[in-house]
Amino acid sequence: MAATRSPADSMALMARETRWHYGPVPRELGGQPIPADSRLFAQGQFVLRTLSGYGYHYVPGEGITIEQPEAGDPDEEALWLNGSVYAAAACLNGFFPLHASAIADQGQVVAFTGATGAGKSTLVAALGQRGWPMFCDDTLLLDLADPARIMALPGHKRLKLTGEALAMLGIAAEQPVGADTGKSYAAPPAGDWCEPLPLTVLVFLEDGEEPDWLEVAGAARFARLADDHYTRELYLEAQRPDRASQFGLRSRLAGQIAMARLVRPRSAAGFAASLDLAEARLQEMGREFQP
Amino acid sequence: MTTPLSKAADRFSETAIDDEIVVMSLENGDFFSLTGTARSIWLLIDGTRDRAALGRDVAAQFGCSEQDIAGDLDAFLDQLNGAGLLVGA
Repeated sequence: MAATRSPADSMALMARETRWHYGPVPRELGGQPIPADSRLFAQGQFVLRTLSGYGYHYVPGEGITIEQPEAGDPDEEALWLNGSVYAAAACLNGFFPLHASAIADQGQVVAFTGATGAGKSTLVAALGQRGWPMFCDDTLLLDLADPARIMALPGHKRLKLTGEALAMLGIAAEQPVGADTGKSYAAPPAGDWCEPLPLTVLVFLEDGEEPDWLEVAGAARFARLADDHYTRELYLEAQRPDRASQFGLRSRLAGQIAMARLVRPRSAAGFAASLDLAEARLQEMGREFQP
Repeated sequence: MTTPLSKAADRFSETAIDDEIVVMSLENGDFFSLTGTARSIWLLIDGTRDRAALGRDVAAQFGCSEQDIAGDLDAFLDQLNGAGLLVGA
Protein backbone atom coordinates (compact mmCIF):
# COMPACT_ATOMS: atom_id res chain seq x y z
CA MET A 1 0.00 0.00 0.00
CA ALA A 2 1.36 3.41 -0.91
CA ALA A 3 1.74 6.35 1.47
CA THR A 4 -1.35 8.53 1.66
CA ARG A 5 0.79 11.69 1.74
CA SER A 6 4.44 12.40 1.13
CA PRO A 7 6.77 13.64 3.91
CA ALA A 8 6.94 16.97 2.07
CA ASP A 9 3.13 17.17 2.14
CA SER A 10 3.24 16.44 5.87
CA MET A 11 5.73 19.24 6.48
CA ALA A 12 3.56 21.65 4.50
CA LEU A 13 0.45 20.49 6.36
CA MET A 14 1.98 21.14 9.78
CA ALA A 15 3.34 24.53 8.68
CA ARG A 16 -0.13 25.48 7.47
CA GLU A 17 -2.03 24.12 10.44
CA THR A 18 0.18 25.75 13.09
CA ARG A 19 -0.12 29.30 11.78
CA TRP A 20 -1.38 31.43 14.65
CA HIS A 21 -2.97 34.77 15.46
CA TYR A 22 -4.29 36.53 18.53
CA GLY A 23 -8.00 36.52 19.33
CA PRO A 24 -10.63 35.28 21.79
CA VAL A 25 -10.60 31.61 22.80
CA PRO A 26 -13.88 29.89 23.75
CA ARG A 27 -14.59 28.93 27.38
CA GLU A 28 -16.37 25.77 26.31
CA LEU A 29 -16.49 23.28 23.46
CA GLY A 30 -19.49 21.13 22.65
CA GLY A 31 -21.16 22.19 25.87
CA GLN A 32 -18.16 21.18 28.00
CA PRO A 33 -16.60 23.97 30.09
CA ILE A 34 -12.83 24.45 29.94
CA PRO A 35 -11.61 25.90 33.24
CA ALA A 36 -8.10 27.31 33.79
CA ASP A 37 -5.32 24.71 33.86
CA SER A 38 -7.17 22.24 31.63
CA ARG A 39 -7.41 21.14 28.03
CA LEU A 40 -10.12 19.59 25.91
CA PHE A 41 -10.42 17.84 22.58
CA ALA A 42 -13.99 18.07 21.29
CA GLN A 43 -15.71 18.50 17.94
CA GLY A 44 -12.39 17.85 16.21
CA GLN A 45 -10.87 20.92 17.88
CA PHE A 46 -8.50 21.57 20.79
CA VAL A 47 -8.61 24.17 23.55
CA LEU A 48 -6.00 24.72 26.25
CA ARG A 49 -6.32 27.14 29.14
CA THR A 50 -3.33 27.74 31.38
CA LEU A 51 -3.26 28.73 35.02
CA SER A 52 -1.61 32.00 34.05
CA GLY A 53 -4.52 32.97 31.82
CA TYR A 54 -3.29 31.99 28.36
CA GLY A 55 -5.82 30.38 26.04
CA TYR A 56 -5.12 28.42 22.83
CA HIS A 57 -7.68 27.18 20.34
CA TYR A 58 -6.81 24.97 17.38
CA VAL A 59 -9.34 24.44 14.60
CA PRO A 60 -8.28 22.23 11.66
CA GLY A 61 -8.03 24.31 8.51
CA GLU A 62 -8.04 27.56 10.48
CA GLY A 63 -4.88 27.32 12.60
CA ILE A 64 -4.28 28.41 16.18
CA THR A 65 -5.83 31.33 18.07
CA ILE A 66 -3.95 32.63 21.11
CA GLU A 67 -5.65 34.65 23.82
CA GLN A 68 -3.22 36.56 26.03
CA PRO A 69 -3.77 37.43 29.69
CA GLU A 70 -3.36 41.05 30.74
CA ALA A 71 0.20 40.57 31.96
CA GLY A 72 1.38 37.89 29.57
CA ASP A 73 4.85 36.38 29.48
CA PRO A 74 6.02 35.95 25.86
CA ASP A 75 8.37 33.16 26.94
CA GLU A 76 5.55 31.18 28.52
CA GLU A 77 3.35 31.87 25.51
CA ALA A 78 5.94 30.38 23.17
CA LEU A 79 6.50 27.33 25.38
CA TRP A 80 2.82 26.36 25.40
CA LEU A 81 2.47 27.10 21.68
CA ASN A 82 5.48 25.01 20.68
CA GLY A 83 4.73 22.29 23.23
CA SER A 84 1.26 21.00 24.01
CA VAL A 85 -0.58 23.08 21.40
CA TYR A 86 1.70 22.09 18.54
CA ALA A 87 1.52 18.43 19.63
CA ALA A 88 -2.28 18.58 19.90
CA ALA A 89 -2.58 20.02 16.39
CA ALA A 90 -0.26 17.28 15.15
CA CYS A 91 -2.35 14.58 16.86
CA LEU A 92 -5.57 15.89 15.33
CA ASN A 93 -3.91 15.59 11.93
CA GLY A 94 -2.92 11.98 12.53
CA PHE A 95 0.71 12.46 13.55
CA PHE A 96 2.10 10.66 16.58
CA PRO A 97 4.31 12.73 18.89
CA LEU A 98 7.02 11.00 20.90
CA HIS A 99 8.62 12.62 23.95
CA ALA A 100 12.12 12.41 22.53
CA SER A 101 15.12 14.37 21.31
CA ALA A 102 16.87 13.10 18.21
CA ILE A 103 19.82 13.31 15.86
CA ALA A 104 20.13 12.75 12.13
CA ASP A 105 22.52 9.93 11.33
CA GLN A 106 23.33 9.01 7.73
CA GLY A 107 19.84 9.34 6.33
CA GLN A 108 17.96 8.12 9.37
CA VAL A 109 16.85 9.35 12.78
CA VAL A 110 18.10 8.03 16.11
CA ALA A 111 15.88 9.27 18.94
CA PHE A 112 16.46 9.38 22.69
CA THR A 113 13.50 9.21 25.06
CA GLY A 114 13.13 9.39 28.81
CA ALA A 115 11.30 11.26 31.53
CA THR A 116 11.73 15.02 31.90
CA GLY A 117 15.25 15.61 33.21
CA ALA A 118 16.58 12.30 31.86
CA GLY A 119 19.17 14.12 29.73
CA LYS A 120 17.69 13.86 26.24
CA SER A 121 18.65 17.38 25.16
CA THR A 122 22.07 17.16 26.82
CA LEU A 123 22.92 13.96 24.98
CA VAL A 124 21.77 15.36 21.64
CA ALA A 125 23.87 18.50 22.23
CA ALA A 126 26.89 16.40 23.18
CA LEU A 127 26.49 14.22 20.09
CA GLY A 128 26.30 17.47 18.14
CA GLN A 129 29.77 18.29 19.42
CA ARG A 130 30.86 15.00 17.85
CA GLY A 131 29.32 15.87 14.50
CA TRP A 132 25.70 14.66 14.53
CA PRO A 133 23.13 17.31 13.51
CA MET A 134 20.14 17.77 15.82
CA PHE A 135 16.88 16.47 14.37
CA CYS A 136 14.59 17.63 17.17
CA ASP A 137 14.51 18.58 20.82
CA ASP A 138 11.90 17.25 23.23
CA THR A 139 9.12 16.37 20.77
CA LEU A 140 9.59 14.03 17.81
CA LEU A 141 6.70 14.01 15.38
CA LEU A 142 6.08 10.70 13.61
CA ASP A 143 4.28 10.49 10.29
CA LEU A 144 2.60 7.10 9.88
CA ALA A 145 1.24 7.72 6.37
CA ASP A 146 3.68 5.30 4.70
CA PRO A 147 3.00 1.73 5.88
CA ALA A 148 6.51 0.66 4.87
CA ARG A 149 8.40 3.03 7.19
CA ILE A 150 7.92 5.46 10.01
CA MET A 151 8.93 8.93 8.93
CA ALA A 152 9.95 11.61 11.40
CA LEU A 153 9.43 15.31 10.83
CA PRO A 154 12.29 17.62 11.83
CA GLY A 155 11.75 19.54 15.04
CA HIS A 156 10.23 22.96 15.32
CA LYS A 157 11.69 23.72 18.77
CA ARG A 158 15.03 25.30 19.58
CA LEU A 159 17.50 23.35 21.70
CA LYS A 160 17.02 24.08 25.40
CA LEU A 161 19.66 23.20 28.00
CA THR A 162 20.00 23.63 31.75
CA GLY A 163 22.84 25.74 33.15
CA GLU A 164 24.46 22.54 34.40
CA ALA A 165 24.37 20.99 30.92
CA LEU A 166 25.73 24.14 29.29
CA ALA A 167 28.62 24.25 31.78
CA MET A 168 29.37 20.53 31.44
CA LEU A 169 29.46 20.71 27.63
CA GLY A 170 31.08 24.15 27.38
CA ILE A 171 28.27 25.43 25.16
CA ALA A 172 27.34 29.13 25.22
CA ALA A 173 23.81 30.11 26.20
CA GLU A 174 22.03 32.19 23.56
CA GLN A 175 19.21 33.54 25.72
CA PRO A 176 17.14 32.40 28.70
CA VAL A 177 14.07 30.31 27.89
CA GLY A 178 12.27 32.14 30.70
CA ALA A 179 8.97 31.07 32.27
CA ASP A 180 10.89 29.78 35.31
CA THR A 181 12.31 26.83 33.38
CA GLY A 182 15.90 27.52 34.43
CA LYS A 183 16.97 26.67 30.88
CA SER A 184 18.59 28.62 28.08
CA TYR A 185 18.38 28.31 24.33
CA ALA A 186 21.56 27.12 22.65
CA ALA A 187 22.70 26.52 19.10
CA PRO A 188 23.06 22.82 18.22
CA PRO A 189 26.83 22.35 17.72
CA ALA A 190 26.43 20.52 14.39
CA GLY A 191 23.35 22.47 13.26
CA ASP A 192 19.75 21.42 12.66
CA TRP A 193 18.58 18.82 10.17
CA CYS A 194 15.62 20.20 8.21
CA GLU A 195 14.28 17.33 6.07
CA PRO A 196 12.05 14.38 7.05
CA LEU A 197 13.89 11.10 7.65
CA PRO A 198 12.85 7.59 8.68
CA LEU A 199 13.02 6.84 12.40
CA THR A 200 15.01 3.63 12.77
CA VAL A 201 16.29 3.57 16.35
CA LEU A 202 14.70 4.62 19.66
CA VAL A 203 16.95 4.68 22.73
CA PHE A 204 15.57 4.77 26.27
CA LEU A 205 17.71 6.76 28.72
CA GLU A 206 17.93 5.12 32.12
CA ASP A 207 19.80 5.60 35.39
CA GLY A 208 22.08 2.78 36.49
CA GLU A 209 25.39 2.10 38.17
CA GLU A 210 27.39 1.05 35.12
CA PRO A 211 27.18 2.64 31.68
CA ASP A 212 25.76 0.16 29.19
CA TRP A 213 24.01 -0.02 25.82
CA LEU A 214 21.51 -2.89 25.77
CA GLU A 215 19.44 -3.90 22.78
CA VAL A 216 15.70 -4.34 23.40
CA ALA A 217 14.26 -7.30 21.50
CA GLY A 218 10.94 -9.03 20.92
CA ALA A 219 7.88 -8.26 23.00
CA ALA A 220 9.97 -6.06 25.30
CA ARG A 221 9.92 -3.47 22.51
CA PHE A 222 6.15 -3.58 22.58
CA ALA A 223 6.09 -3.21 26.37
CA ARG A 224 8.60 -0.36 26.28
CA LEU A 225 6.24 1.79 24.24
CA ALA A 226 4.01 2.11 27.28
CA ASP A 227 6.84 4.19 28.80
CA ASP A 228 6.20 7.26 26.71
CA HIS A 229 5.07 10.20 28.77
CA TYR A 230 2.58 13.00 28.18
CA THR A 231 2.60 12.75 24.37
CA ARG A 232 0.86 9.38 24.17
CA GLU A 233 -1.97 10.64 26.38
CA LEU A 234 -2.41 13.59 24.04
CA TYR A 235 -2.66 11.27 21.03
CA LEU A 236 -5.21 9.05 22.78
CA GLU A 237 -7.32 12.06 23.76
CA ALA A 238 -7.19 13.46 20.23
CA GLN A 239 -7.78 10.31 18.22
CA ARG A 240 -9.70 8.18 20.76
CA PRO A 241 -8.52 4.95 19.14
CA ASP A 242 -10.14 1.72 20.31
CA ARG A 243 -8.04 -1.06 21.87
CA ALA A 244 -7.44 -2.79 18.56
CA SER A 245 -6.22 0.45 16.94
CA GLN A 246 -3.92 1.21 19.89
CA PHE A 247 -2.56 -2.31 19.67
CA GLY A 248 -2.01 -1.90 15.92
CA LEU A 249 -0.10 1.34 16.44
CA ARG A 250 2.15 -0.09 19.15
CA SER A 251 2.72 -3.24 17.09
CA ARG A 252 3.79 -1.17 14.14
CA LEU A 253 6.18 0.99 16.16
CA ALA A 254 7.63 -2.08 17.90
CA GLY A 255 8.02 -3.91 14.61
CA GLN A 256 9.58 -1.10 12.57
CA ILE A 257 11.86 0.64 15.08
CA ALA A 258 14.94 -0.94 16.64
CA MET A 259 15.23 -0.14 20.34
CA ALA A 260 17.95 0.00 22.96
CA ARG A 261 18.52 1.12 26.55
CA LEU A 262 21.34 3.51 27.34
CA VAL A 263 22.08 3.07 31.04
CA ARG A 264 24.34 5.50 32.91
CA PRO A 265 25.06 6.90 36.34
CA ARG A 266 23.98 10.50 36.97
CA SER A 267 27.45 12.07 37.07
CA ALA A 268 29.73 13.93 34.71
CA ALA A 269 31.95 10.85 34.42
CA GLY A 270 28.89 8.63 33.84
CA PHE A 271 27.63 10.98 31.18
CA ALA A 272 31.00 11.02 29.41
CA ALA A 273 31.13 7.22 29.45
CA SER A 274 27.59 6.91 28.11
CA LEU A 275 28.39 9.45 25.40
CA ASP A 276 31.37 7.36 24.29
CA LEU A 277 29.13 4.28 24.26
CA ALA A 278 26.47 6.04 22.21
CA GLU A 279 29.05 7.32 19.75
CA ALA A 280 30.58 3.88 19.32
CA ARG A 281 27.19 2.26 18.80
CA LEU A 282 26.13 4.95 16.32
CA GLN A 283 29.33 4.39 14.36
CA GLU A 284 28.68 0.63 14.33
CA MET A 285 25.12 1.20 13.17
CA GLY A 286 26.39 3.52 10.48
CA ARG A 287 28.65 0.76 9.19
CA GLU A 288 25.78 -1.75 9.34
CA PHE A 289 23.59 0.57 7.28
CA GLN A 290 26.25 1.26 4.64
CA PRO A 291 25.08 0.01 1.22
CA MET B 1 -12.71 -37.19 18.91
CA THR B 2 -13.23 -34.07 21.00
CA THR B 3 -14.03 -30.64 19.61
CA PRO B 4 -11.24 -28.96 17.65
CA LEU B 5 -9.90 -25.87 19.37
CA SER B 6 -9.96 -22.53 17.64
CA LYS B 7 -9.23 -18.96 18.57
CA ALA B 8 -11.97 -16.47 19.41
CA ALA B 9 -10.83 -14.21 16.59
CA ASP B 10 -13.03 -11.28 17.54
CA ARG B 11 -11.66 -11.15 21.08
CA PHE B 12 -7.97 -10.48 20.55
CA SER B 13 -5.33 -8.77 18.43
CA GLU B 14 -1.91 -10.28 17.85
CA THR B 15 1.42 -9.32 16.39
CA ALA B 16 4.77 -11.03 15.84
CA ILE B 17 7.90 -9.17 16.99
CA ASP B 18 11.16 -10.98 16.29
CA ASP B 19 10.47 -14.56 17.43
CA GLU B 20 7.75 -13.65 19.93
CA ILE B 21 4.02 -13.22 19.55
CA VAL B 22 2.15 -10.59 21.54
CA VAL B 23 -1.56 -11.24 22.03
CA MET B 24 -3.89 -8.69 23.58
CA SER B 25 -7.37 -9.36 24.91
CA LEU B 26 -9.70 -6.76 23.40
CA GLU B 27 -11.99 -7.16 26.40
CA ASN B 28 -9.62 -6.00 29.11
CA GLY B 29 -6.38 -5.00 27.36
CA ASP B 30 -4.32 -7.74 29.04
CA PHE B 31 -1.24 -8.83 27.10
CA PHE B 32 0.35 -12.23 26.64
CA SER B 33 3.88 -12.58 25.32
CA LEU B 34 4.26 -16.00 23.75
CA THR B 35 7.58 -17.73 23.24
CA GLY B 36 8.77 -21.35 22.98
CA THR B 37 6.06 -23.97 23.44
CA ALA B 38 3.35 -21.38 24.12
CA ARG B 39 4.11 -19.74 20.77
CA SER B 40 3.99 -23.13 19.00
CA ILE B 41 0.71 -24.10 20.66
CA TRP B 42 -0.82 -20.75 19.75
CA LEU B 43 0.18 -21.17 16.11
CA LEU B 44 -1.22 -24.71 16.02
CA ILE B 45 -4.64 -23.67 17.34
CA ASP B 46 -6.28 -23.32 13.95
CA GLY B 47 -9.63 -25.07 14.29
CA THR B 48 -8.38 -28.42 12.98
CA ARG B 49 -6.85 -29.92 16.15
CA ASP B 50 -8.36 -30.99 19.44
CA ARG B 51 -6.40 -31.14 22.69
CA ALA B 52 -4.90 -34.54 21.91
CA ALA B 53 -3.80 -33.57 18.40
CA LEU B 54 -2.23 -30.39 19.74
CA GLY B 55 -0.25 -32.41 22.27
CA ARG B 56 0.91 -34.81 19.60
CA ASP B 57 2.01 -32.09 17.16
CA VAL B 58 3.71 -29.90 19.76
CA ALA B 59 5.59 -32.90 21.12
CA ALA B 60 6.72 -33.77 17.59
CA GLN B 61 7.94 -30.20 17.03
CA PHE B 62 10.02 -30.22 20.20
CA GLY B 63 11.18 -33.83 19.95
CA CYS B 64 9.72 -34.91 23.27
CA SER B 65 6.91 -37.13 24.49
CA GLU B 66 3.30 -35.97 24.77
CA GLN B 67 3.56 -36.67 28.49
CA ASP B 68 6.46 -34.26 28.79
CA ILE B 69 4.49 -31.31 27.53
CA ALA B 70 1.04 -32.27 28.85
CA GLY B 71 1.30 -30.07 31.94
CA ASP B 72 2.45 -26.99 30.02
CA LEU B 73 -0.19 -27.56 27.35
CA ASP B 74 -3.05 -27.86 29.82
CA ALA B 75 -1.88 -24.84 31.80
CA PHE B 76 -1.60 -22.71 28.69
CA LEU B 77 -4.97 -23.80 27.32
CA ASP B 78 -6.54 -23.04 30.71
CA GLN B 79 -4.95 -19.59 30.62
CA LEU B 80 -6.24 -18.88 27.11
CA ASN B 81 -9.66 -20.24 28.00
CA GLY B 82 -9.78 -18.11 31.14
CA ALA B 83 -9.01 -15.05 29.04
CA GLY B 84 -11.84 -15.95 26.69
CA LEU B 85 -9.55 -16.46 23.73
CA LEU B 86 -10.50 -20.07 22.92
CA VAL B 87 -13.51 -21.62 21.24
CA GLY B 88 -14.20 -25.33 21.72
CA ALA B 89 -12.34 -25.74 25.02
